[in-house]
Amino acid sequence: MSDKVVYLSSQWRDEVAKRLKSELSPEKMKFITTSVAFNYINCPQGKDRYLYFKCEEGSITEVIVDEGDPPKAEFTITGNYDLFAQITQGIIKSHRALMSGKLRLKGNMVKALKLASLADRLNNIMAQVPTIY
Amino acid sequence: MSTMLNNDPYFIDFPGRVSQIQESMANENIDCYLGSRLRTISWVADAFCPWRSYIVIPAQGNPTVFTFVIDAARVADDSWLDEDHVLGYAPLGGMDQITLISDFIKDDLNVKSGRIGIESGMSNYLPEGNITLFEYENFKAALSGCELVNAHYIIDRLSLVKDEGTINRFREASRIVDVGHKAVKEALSNGGWKGMTETEIADIAALAMRRAGSVWEWSFTGGNEIASGYRTGLAGGACTPASTRELRFGEPLMVDIHAMFKLALGDHAHNYLIGSSTDRQLWHANNFIDIVSLTLKTYKAGISPVSLGEQMMDFAEERGFAEYMVPGFEHGIGMLGDEWRIGLNEGPFPFWTNPDHTYQENEVLICAMQYACPDDEIGFRYENPIVIKKDKCEALSKFGLRVEVIE
Repeated sequence: MSDKVVYLSSQWRDEVAKRLKSELSPEKMKFITTSVAFNYINCPQGKDRYLYFKCEEGSITEVIVDEGDPPKAEFTITGNYDLFAQITQGIIKSHRALMSGKLRLKGNMVKALKLASLADRLNNIMAQVPTIY
Repeated sequence: MSTMLNNDPYFIDFPGRVSQIQESMANENIDCYLGSRLRTISWVADAFCPWRSYIVIPAQGNPTVFTFVIDAARVADDSWLDEDHVLGYAPLGGMDQITLISDFIKDDLNVKSGRIGIESGMSNYLPEGNITLFEYENFKAALSGCELVNAHYIIDRLSLVKDEGTINRFREASRIVDVGHKAVKEALSNGGWKGMTETEIADIAALAMRRAGSVWEWSFTGGNEIASGYRTGLAGGACTPASTRELRFGEPLMVDIHAMFKLALGDHAHNYLIGSSTDRQLWHANNFIDIVSLTLKTYKAGISPVSLGEQMMDFAEERGFAEYMVPGFEHGIGMLGDEWRIGLNEGPFPFWTNPDHTYQENEVLICAMQYACPDDEIGFRYENPIVIKKDKCEALSKFGLRVEVIE
């Protein structure tokens, strides 16, 4: 793919889903079953948006981008659009954003720790999608 | 997550405890209980929480413990509560104590208004865990639709009389303490005391007790308290963290050791005279043994701390040693974190034992007595968990009551 896609657009979502499914095997995802919703606030278009992933036994089964309230997820991470964009580009590490309080996590922290490295893998793949932020 | 069958001698009906709390909450119109005291967390969660922790008890359903994230998985492993009911807090967005707990109360329990029970007060026991001013103010702001009300008395009332599983845990903790005393006595005997320090004695006891099943020398007074020579007789002193002082011929030695078994606490003190004894030392020793014996014979349901104290001090006065007695004969005890105060906060001095508290059957307390004569540089201590019975008490440590002269 040579053309860039707009961040959080349906084209971007499709590209992310395609790459995640092809590059993250259930083994790499430790056969986990979980779900996470990223709540983007202060988006350029004005409305809050979300990015939702569902993973069943290590396979990514759902990737949703939409406006409004996300489906119920095991983990919810809320932050500014700009911050998420910087994280996706690898400019800021998500860990630093959480430690500074700029991102707000909701969910079982102990389980989140177990999944932290998997989230990094997921983010690394998203970072490779040519994107217009 | 630990499970225990109800035919286990150490079984405690924790869901039953939670139901009792919830019943009390309903009676007090409390929608949610936010406990922070170590005693509350031990009593409800059955897990050792050494980091600042909280327990949120909803009106219905299981409670949730909140502890420092580095220890949350271990607490969940030890507790009867599952990992979804032991959550970790951390210095991350949304995960700090105040945000995590207040969001949980508002969003997960759907308590956005009403009364939230908290635990406020004061204590002479440092790790008590009452809510701090900072926590109170920030929880109050985060739960702005709710009223925070002091409700520690709910737990205090329910935890006063011990069930069979709890008492059996105390019995086992005391058996372990006796193993420690046996090891110390063997190490001291036949000249073994020569060159030995108080700290070495503390660790001889600790090793023996840990081999026998103790997980911690739990007392915040420095673990095992050992005093020799003049340190045994410090005026009014009943707290002697072991020092590096070496034992000396002709001096007294006080060995006060602590074991923990399933959060129940063993605590027994035994006393020695090292190498030889003088008539004056034996006079003191006999006074001490006699008053301890009389105290143990006197404890039973229906008496109070003040009635027992008066009786014992009259005895000491008659025998001419009242000036050497610390005029207190007990302190409270429960699962880890429940120490010192007996009963409820209903006496003349807030958060101290009510001197007129009437003992009931199956209360457990520490029979605790300190004899100290600074001028003679001698003192003795007795501590032993006792179970109050209808007409007597059951002393849980069985190590013989005597002041032993060690050759």
